[in-house]
Amino acid sequence: MTGKERILAKLRGEATDSLPLMPITMMFAADLAGVRYIDYARDHRVLADAQVAVADYFGFDHVSAISDPAREASDLGAAVEWFDNQPPAIVESRALLDEKSKLAGLRLPDLAAPGRMRDRIEAVRLLAERTGATRVVEGWVEGPCAMGADLRGLNTLMLDFFDDGPFVEALFDFTVRMEVEFARAQVEAGATLIGVGDAAASLIGPKLYTQHVLTSEQRLIAAIHALGVPVRLHICGNTKRIVEGMGLTGAEIIDLDFPTPLGHARRAMRETQVLLGNIDPVRALRDGTPESVEAALAECFEQAGAAYICGAGCEVPRGTPYANLEAMARFARSRR
Amino acid sequence: MPDLDKLHQAVIEGDWKAAAAATQAAIAAGVAPLTIVTGCLVPAMDEVGRLFECEEYFVPEMLLSARAMKASMAIVRPLLAAAGTEPVGRVVIGTVKGDLHDIGKNLVASMLEGGGFEVIDLGADVAPERFIEAATTRNANLVALSALLTVTMPSMKTTVDAFQSAGLREKVKIMVGGAPVTQQYADAIGADGYSESAGGAVALARRLAVV
Repeated sequence: MTGKERILAKLRGEATDSLPLMPITMMFAADLAGVRYIDYARDHRVLADAQVAVADYFGFDHVSAISDPAREASDLGAAVEWFDNQPPAIVESRALLDEKSKLAGLRLPDLAAPGRMRDRIEAVRLLAERTGATRVVEGWVEGPCAMGADLRGLNTLMLDFFDDGPFVEALFDFTVRMEVEFARAQVEAGATLIGVGDAAASLIGPKLYTQHVLTSEQRLIAAIHALGVPVRLHICGNTKRIVEGMGLTGAEIIDLDFPTPLGHARRAMRETQVLLGNIDPVRALRDGTPESVEAALAECFEQAGAAYICGAGCEVPRGTPYANLEAMARFARSRR
Repeated sequence: MPDLDKLHQAVIEGDWKAAAAATQAAIAAGVAPLTIVTGCLVPAMDEVGRLFECEEYFVPEMLLSARAMKASMAIVRPLLAAAGTEPVGRVVIGTVKGDLHDIGKNLVASMLEGGGFEVIDLGADVAPERFIEAATTRNANLVALSALLTVTMPSMKTTVDAFQSAGLREKVKIMVGGAPVTQQYADAIGADGYSESAGGAVALARRLAVV
């Protein structure tokens, strides 16, 4: 099977020749390709070269256009700080929506115009041309809670949940409308799957998640399904208390970070829900040994059951020994 | 003292207006400012920390409680200063150079303030020399460094080393934390302590402050 066939078969609940392998690589990929991260995040050709290189080297079943959470915010006019060799960051102290009234004046970015969203679309196009026949090409958008935090400021959004629920609803409505269009452009460019990153959602409890985030994630994911592609929902951090809700989003892949044991997630979701992850990226993957990596993945597989895709809890950290990632690949290829 | 009960409840429930009103009422009733802190705000924030640890509270609820606690402290602090009351300790806190992710640091800063510490919050993306300057000029005995990214963790070592080079390493205790940080890393860079949670950071600071 090709990587693409393997992943898509797994999502259909069909037998595969081995476990699909879909770890997130960003800075690790840039380092492997010998490029600065600022170039990786700014130039789709650099990103595509690095993604193909890392996928070739370790035998990944996918390539991804994920790079940083600041693409949409950049194009909307948010203040972003750039670093030479790490991801750009949104400057929260100068949040674009520092005043709630500014939301009404916010317009969806022009995806045909030059910008960071356009650059990701072109990355998807290039990846699809170069490796889309045999690998899943993953586009990427921000989830409603993460995007809301990008625009409003994470600290402020957390208080908005209690101070002004209707504003949060309006903010999430804007983010969903924008991300649907961003996903559409990436699918048209050749994405075979869309990743949705909604890290900020791990900071809230089940009540607020159900009340404010879940329905927005469901709307976003349903709209991406209408484009004809499956969805990977990735929420970094501790999601133990919202994981049941995550299982109701409709995402084909629930990609969990290490604080949430896959056994816990499996008990909260249907048996056929594909789970991805979730060894501790730092303690197990970067600082472990090939043997401990395989043992940690075996535990994940045991807890998740057959509907499982190999990966780390979050991005493969810079500095991870190649031998440890090779051990992950070896584990995936030796199980089915 | 019914007003302190109200204040305690207002902090737990994250109602900053009620917290401010209850603080004013307590002071008007003759409650000593230090009693408001040690007898009410500290146990209230300890309870908030406990609720967070057992996953009944999450980040929004903690921030609400922190806002209520700060509303009370804004009234009490000048009175404490006027009376010459010393805090449990003075902590300079910030995210290290290159790291703009500050929500974890903000939670720890609030918990420390609620734990009776004077907190000098330098914000995000703080260079080693700013930590040193603040620790020196504010006579801090603790420095708390936060990093969310693996790529910014080396700035923790740079900061610890800068305190060493400045000859200040014996004068301050340095604690570190953040999602990718481990006890092993804290030991490797020569930090005095590590905590994986905001509540644990307060307990750690209390231990380090008395050493």
